[in-house]
Amino acid sequence: MNLARTFEVFRQEFTHNLKRPLFWVQILLLGFMIYMMSTGKAQIGSGDARVGGKKAWITSEFAVGQMLIMLMAIIYVFFISVAAGMALIRDDEQKVGELLHSSPLRAGEYIWGKYAAVLATYVVILAFHIGFSMLCNHALPHGGNAEFMGPFSAANYLRPMFVFGLPLLVLFTGSCFAIGGATRMPVLVFSFPIAVLLLDAFFLWDWSPAWLPLGVNRLLQFADPTGLRWMKETWLLVDKGVDFYNKQPIGLDALVIAQRFAIVAVGLGCVAWYSRRFASQLRGARVSPAVAQAALAAPRVQASAAPAATLAPLASLGMQAKAPGAFAMTMEVVRTELYQLVRTPGLYLFVPLILIQTLLNEYGVGAFDTPILQTAGTLASGMFNTLTLLICMVILFYTTESLQRERGTGMGAIYYATPLRTGAMLAGKALANTLLALAIVAACFVGCVVVLAMQGKVSLNPAPFAIVWGLLLVPTYLVWTAYVSAVFAVTSNRYATYAIGLGTMVLSGWFQMRGKMNWVFNWDLWSATKWTDIATFQYDALPLVLNRVTWLLVAVLLTVLTVRWFERRERDATNALLRMRPGSMARAMGALTPFLLPPLVTGSVLAWQVGDGYQGAAAKKATLDYWRKNVQTWKDAPAPVLTGVDLDVKFDPAKHAFTMKGAYTVENATDKPMVRFPVTVNPRWKKLAFTANGKPASTENRAGLVIVNPPLPLQPGERMTLGFSYDARHPDGTSRNGGYEMEFVTPSSIVLTGFSGVTFTPAIGFFPDEAVEEGKNNSDPREWPEDWWKHEHGAAIPTAGRWFDVHMKVDVPANLQVNATGEKVAESVANGRRVTEWRTDHPVRIYNLIAGEWKVKTREGVAVYYDARHPYNVDEMLDALEGARRWYGEWFAPYPWKQLRLSEFAGWPTYAQAPAGNITFSEGIGFLTQSKPDANAAFWIAAHESAHMWWPNMAMVGDGPGCEVLSEGMAHFSTLLLVEKMRGERQRQSFAKQMEARYGRLRQKDSERALVKIDGKLPGDTRIWYDKGGWALWMLHRFMGEERGLAAVREYMAKYRDTKVPASLEDYLSIQRSHAADTTAFDAFTKQWFFGVVAPKYLVENARLEKDGDGWKVTGVVHNVGDGRMTIDVAAAAGVQWPEAGKKAAPWKTERTTITIGAGERVPVTLRCAFRPEKLVVDPDVRVLMLERNKAEVKLAPVTGTIAMR
Amino acid sequence: MLEITGLVKVYPGPVAALQGIDLDVPLGMFGLLGPNGAGKSTFMRVLAGLLEPTSGRVTLDGIDVLDKPDWLRERLGYLPQDFGFYAHLSGRDMLLHLLRLKGVQSPGGLNKLADELLERVNLTFAAKRSVKSYSGGMRQRLGIAQAIAGNPRLLIVDEPTAGLDPEERLRFYHLLAQLAEERIVLLSTHIVEDVAVLCPQFAVIRGGRLLARTTPRSAREAVAGLIFEGVVSPLELPEMRATRQVTQELLVEGHTRVRLYEPTGEAPAGFEKVTPTLEDAYLVLMRAGALPGLNAPQAAATAEVRP
Repeated sequence: MNLARTFEVFRQEFTHNLKRPLFWVQILLLGFMIYMMSTGKAQIGSGDARVGGKKAWITSEFAVGQMLIMLMAIIYVFFISVAAGMALIRDDEQKVGELLHSSPLRAGEYIWGKYAAVLATYVVILAFHIGFSMLCNHALPHGGNAEFMGPFSAANYLRPMFVFGLPLLVLFTGSCFAIGGATRMPVLVFSFPIAVLLLDAFFLWDWSPAWLPLGVNRLLQFADPTGLRWMKETWLLVDKGVDFYNKQPIGLDALVIAQRFAIVAVGLGCVAWYSRRFASQLRGARVSPAVAQAALAAPRVQASAAPAATLAPLASLGMQAKAPGAFAMTMEVVRTELYQLVRTPGLYLFVPLILIQTLLNEYGVGAFDTPILQTAGTLASGMFNTLTLLICMVILFYTTESLQRERGTGMGAIYYATPLRTGAMLAGKALANTLLALAIVAACFVGCVVVLAMQGKVSLNPAPFAIVWGLLLVPTYLVWTAYVSAVFAVTSNRYATYAIGLGTMVLSGWFQMRGKMNWVFNWDLWSATKWTDIATFQYDALPLVLNRVTWLLVAVLLTVLTVRWFERRERDATNALLRMRPGSMARAMGALTPFLLPPLVTGSVLAWQVGDGYQGAAAKKATLDYWRKNVQTWKDAPAPVLTGVDLDVKFDPAKHAFTMKGAYTVENATDKPMVRFPVTVNPRWKKLAFTANGKPASTENRAGLVIVNPPLPLQPGERMTLGFSYDARHPDGTSRNGGYEMEFVTPSSIVLTGFSGVTFTPAIGFFPDEAVEEGKNNSDPREWPEDWWKHEHGAAIPTAGRWFDVHMKVDVPANLQVNATGEKVAESVANGRRVTEWRTDHPVRIYNLIAGEWKVKTREGVAVYYDARHPYNVDEMLDALEGARRWYGEWFAPYPWKQLRLSEFAGWPTYAQAPAGNITFSEGIGFLTQSKPDANAAFWIAAHESAHMWWPNMAMVGDGPGCEVLSEGMAHFSTLLLVEKMRGERQRQSFAKQMEARYGRLRQKDSERALVKIDGKLPGDTRIWYDKGGWALWMLHRFMGEERGLAAVREYMAKYRDTKVPASLEDYLSIQRSHAADTTAFDAFTKQWFFGVVAPKYLVENARLEKDGDGWKVTGVVHNVGDGRMTIDVAAAAGVQWPEAGKKAAPWKTERTTITIGAGERVPVTLRCAFRPEKLVVDPDVRVLMLERNKAEVKLAPVTGTIAMR
Repeated sequence: MLEITGLVKVYPGPVAALQGIDLDVPLGMFGLLGPNGAGKSTFMRVLAGLLEPTSGRVTLDGIDVLDKPDWLRERLGYLPQDFGFYAHLSGRDMLLHLLRLKGVQSPGGLNKLADELLERVNLTFAAKRSVKSYSGGMRQRLGIAQAIAGNPRLLIVDEPTAGLDPEERLRFYHLLAQLAEERIVLLSTHIVEDVAVLCPQFAVIRGGRLLARTTPRSAREAVAGLIFEGVVSPLELPEMRATRQVTQELLVEGHTRVRLYEPTGEAPAGFEKVTPTLEDAYLVLMRAGALPGLNAPQAAATAEVRP
């Protein structure tokens, strides 16, 4: 190889690359994003959110590495594919090949010179990326986000660049270069980046259920070329603390080192392979001797030697020409384009890609990693973003290439001189590309059919596909095709079109990620819609229609512009300037007005809808005004307690509306007369009026806080009736970008509760937290005195401090059934309306109302109301409800209400709530899951919600720190008991592992506080309430022993069921302590799990397996690299603990020992087994909460006795 | 009648490719002769509606085709100087595609017509082969087939014989001659022989200006009696070039035969008067910029930019 010649090839290509718009657009795009990120905040979910708390630096090696990888996989790869993939194709099109290769230049010099230039170009961009990041992060002044900037360390930038950035560059450039060279088809060079993006962003980066075997996980880590999955699984999923991320380098293990070398080898290998191939084919494709001989032997086909004069004159052909109609022209273009499409491999690459992507839905998991039961609707909706991304990319590439084709092939002069109308040409090309898109959609549909068939439960219903893909997705394709065509028409340059198209997609994604998108500008409806079988598109129908209509009209406008701008006749520069004169511009605008006005009008209407909607600026201001107007005056002001509720509510679901007429009975529970008191209302309610004891009340509305002045001061213990009436809508107007509220009124599904926010009924009191907006007026958590719980305090749910009776009269359209708090005491159907009346058979603390079109399945005292299309898990849920009534009743206290109902609502929000006797349950979290022993969301969530009937419906908890553990934690603890009782030890362990994994992944080490201190104000608090709280209470129960533990629980229930001072976690622990056999040990236990912060993490080190007489000896060291001192089992085990039913498996055998191990300690273990053990496991029965349980187990090597570390 | 008035084309740079062309092209074959870079292809591309001129007017049968390019395209057959085809199509499919786009009809149907046209350009044997396997000459012939298809009122052929072997060139001459009977055929070429064989009238263009509009006979007559030919030694040649108007130098059997244009009509020693060819006239015109007896159309004085 001659270096001088190689360098000459390199020099030419490199200097060309540096001048291309592609290069500069990427530089600008990266510069913009780097600057914006530099002015943003932490990217890693770690740190302490409190003022002055340690923050995760965006300058740490972890942050830099993570962002670098994401930018490379999402942005770099597409630009690289154009630059690298087209490098050789461009030479073909410019026909310089024969000149070059007739010179002494050798194939290898040409290929490696070209490749080196492409690689060097991106090294320059990467260097700019890193350098500009350094500049923005460390040289520019930072004000509000200075605490997210660490001290400058070049290694934090350079190490990620060398470890992750450069290998990726080599891989991306090498593979795209080889694909472009080998196929010489521009479209195919984009198959690689699309595959990388789809597999990474939609699968490899995030799909990681807790039940995934470690070996498979490691394989997937290796398969992800970006290294992000490895980084997440190894370092990020379980928070190591902000100090670690800020100061430590990214520790590399053998897997990632091997992977980085492997991808460099693959990248360079692709180039080397192609170089050899190119060299071998430089003088034409080789044919075998046999083929050559056959060709030589074949009769020679010769051109006719007949002179033209012997042929009949041309006139005899009778040729006539009449320009065909637009349709015929369009169809002719379509035919030729399709002929091209079906003969190029693009179709056969993209179709399998989407098919694989679709089939991966079979492995989608929902709550508690339970496999989702896909329906036609969830599949259609779930594939929406993927199809949008994939097909928009395909449209970008295919449209650009098809518009470029005439110029690229040199046919433009002939083609553009034909009578073919520009509009017909563009329409024909667009239509053909749309057919390609349809082929991909069809493949996706086939994949969905296969997924449904594999599930074998849900039947195929084509309607959701037609609605979601037909009505919502197709306009996206049309507008994107029109946009790409318009860009090409303006630029007349394929590379500029790619750069602008990719830039548009990246910026759209950027605004989406930063929450800056809304219905008006969300041209591709990215993440704006969610399917529900129950109330399809009933939530945001109007903005959805307006959005699609607006963008279809934009597509028309862009098409008109494209037809006008398409450079079929090369424009004259002088005339182009003249067209910029005001008069010419005005005339042009006048001609465009009929096309410009319609989208402007519909877009403006939509913008007005968004602005006026419940997430609009006016609504935000109203919420903030409520806080600003009242926080100083009414915070902690006394308010009466609720002692009775009487509601008469009439719904107009088609308008999302209801009319309320109701009354509260309130009582002054303080020891002082109450002259006035606050009532929070929804500022968007209309015709709001209050009465006091039946007469118009004197009130003052202070920005949503109504101050009620009773006729006479309300004396201590005195009651009054506070009447109210108003008209409400939920949702009240349009969301901003397709978000969903927890409660809503729609034609097929209604959910309203009387305890969270003010959607249903007014709330007695002032609630400053309702107006807290993250990053604007949120404050640090309150620092509570240690003995706060010994003093008087309120209830966690302010209106639920007392028991009260509820009466509700509910008027709905007759197609809806209603479940409201209490028992149904009357029902009538007349004039298309259903009126039901509900009265509590036992007092409650929380009330709600749900309506839907249901089937019902009942057992003694329990019922599940479900959509007729979702019967799959109803029995599982009924089991949970029935078991809850029986066993919770036996363990804690008898269930006091007559019925325990669970009703399904439209799955826009995914939650379940449990007011007394009337559980509301989203379709998405249990009704549409595939229950299995390792993951059974239907049973587990139903059991959890049922437990809320006791915690806190019966034993209301206080409004101080730690109290929510007695609600959510107790519900999880109860679920653990019930799951073990009814579903056995395997499911108990599985549920416990799921809780443990959720806690491990979502806790923020630096923000974590003791269970008695958490109040929901810091990131990760809620997971600690639920998962660590539930685990700790369960471990405490085991510590206490079942009899003592349950006795304490019953005493707690008895004490706090009717008390006016709700319980605290300290109260609960003190009752437990009074039942403990060993109070010293009890104190030691609760000190670390409730009053302290511990998270054990066990590793097994130096494990050895040796033959020991007739048996085996296992030795090893258990190392607690986390916190806490626990007594824990260690087992040498063999066989399968939980064999699948009907499958043969080796019997489960264990040999155990018990150790007590504290933080940082190493404890050696020796086990002698009569059987040959296969692994050494810490805590084989899942009895101690720990982090990264999969690392607390090692396989024992089969021969030498050394271990294979997992 | 094709009428061109004050046609100006200035490329950014600026490069004035056409500096005010005025030309009437009647029915029949009309040649446009000029050296490389004279502006012929720019002129043809403007006429074919592929290039917007800076100013000027072009009418075909009284219709302004610059304002109505769609009208022109329905009446146009065009063979560009440099072109390609969809590589993935066979020659026949490619031709059929273009026939359909042009709306060509024939009593025997399109398939038969395509076969006939391919036969006219001697491509029947390769009709089903992919265009990418075609040689340069075959591609050129396919281009000719599509250009002559239909019943174009105006046929523009830009350097049509480039790449054709003598046999095919002759075949093409016949085709063009047939076509020129009923329509305007504008032939742009730098090969004088093409014009000499085919065109009763032609124009000469150089540097974006029209130098002459004449007939081959008139052109030859303009230099009749003024062309001389003789043999000179290599040593004498430089001086001959410096002092005489040498039109052609031909090496014949090791000697240099030189043709001279001598406006005085007096032959140098050793030179004999010869019958002039069109090439002589063209070359004299190229060197002198004008020839007595040939009308040199007035170029537009100033380029008025089209609004």
